[in-house]
Amino acid sequence: MGPMPTRRFESLMALFIAASIAGCATQQPYLVAPQISDKTADQVADEPHASARPLPYKGRLVEGDPAELPPAVAQALSPNAPLTFTYREELTHDEYHIPMIISALDPVTYAGSPLGDYGVTANATLTIYQGDKAIADYTAKAHVSKSYNLYSEPKHSELERAARDAVRERIDQKLYGDADRIARAVAGPAPTVPE
Amino acid sequence: MIAAGCAVTGRPFEKASLRSNDQVIYVYRPYSYFGSLVKPSVTCGEDTARIGPGGYHAFVEPAGKVLCSVETETADEVEIPADPRVHYIREEIGWGTMIGHPHLNPIDHDLAQSEIQSCCVAEP
Repeated sequence: MGPMPTRRFESLMALFIAASIAGCATQQPYLVAPQISDKTADQVADEPHASARPLPYKGRLVEGDPAELPPAVAQALSPNAPLTFTYREELTHDEYHIPMIISALDPVTYAGSPLGDYGVTANATLTIYQGDKAIADYTAKAHVSKSYNLYSEPKHSELERAARDAVRERIDQKLYGDADRIARAVAGPAPTVPE
Repeated sequence: MIAAGCAVTGRPFEKASLRSNDQVIYVYRPYSYFGSLVKPSVTCGEDTARIGPGGYHAFVEPAGKVLCSVETETADEVEIPADPRVHYIREEIGWGTMIGHPHLNPIDHDLAQSEIQSCCVAEP
């Protein structure tokens, strides 16, 4: 009878330790909400990487911070270009916290279980003008969130930077998808061939 | 009585007067008994202040990007853009192992204005 209680105790301890280790939260990556797309996987795979090629037109920035632009737009800036760009970004913040009284009494809190999360949503708008006429208007949205625990938590500045980078990438994707149309609009109507 | 003794006493919320090329960042800390003894330094740009529970501080900085930060065992940072000229950040003290962890949470104007007027007084 002697070894049985000891063996059962050891089994319970092993189970408790395994549960505690399983409860430790690893460093969570930023969670970026997926963008809903009508394209098939093949179409997406065939598209070149957004940052790999420059746009086929240039523009001047009339509204926005030149240091805080989508990469494709920043590459396309030119002081004497016929097109103008206006770019706006806006961030909103959200947070969720498990009530302290619950987390204080829950043992998994001390094993690193998440206590809540912080999120940032970036909204961006890019408009392209040819003279007084708006020839393109793009909007994009990106949400980034990350959980925190007793031992580590994200800085708001990191989340904000990740949200801005994500929304700028989405603006770039829209620009590349529409680049040919804008280039044709800038070039104007094709000259007619005299008979 | 002990909890009330930790709260900041001072003048009710007043909007800071700004010059044309200034921006203001209001950092406020609604009263909570939890973490009331923790008063970490909040730094925005060149200015630093310790804000107690129920207090606020107006950081007036030249217009432009400003980084606000606070640190105990962990640190939090918020990057303030140049536009608009008025920003609100709510400071909260959360769980920590040896000392509470501070958080700086940017708050939208409408919500922040009602919160700061009802909760907080000027940090002396």
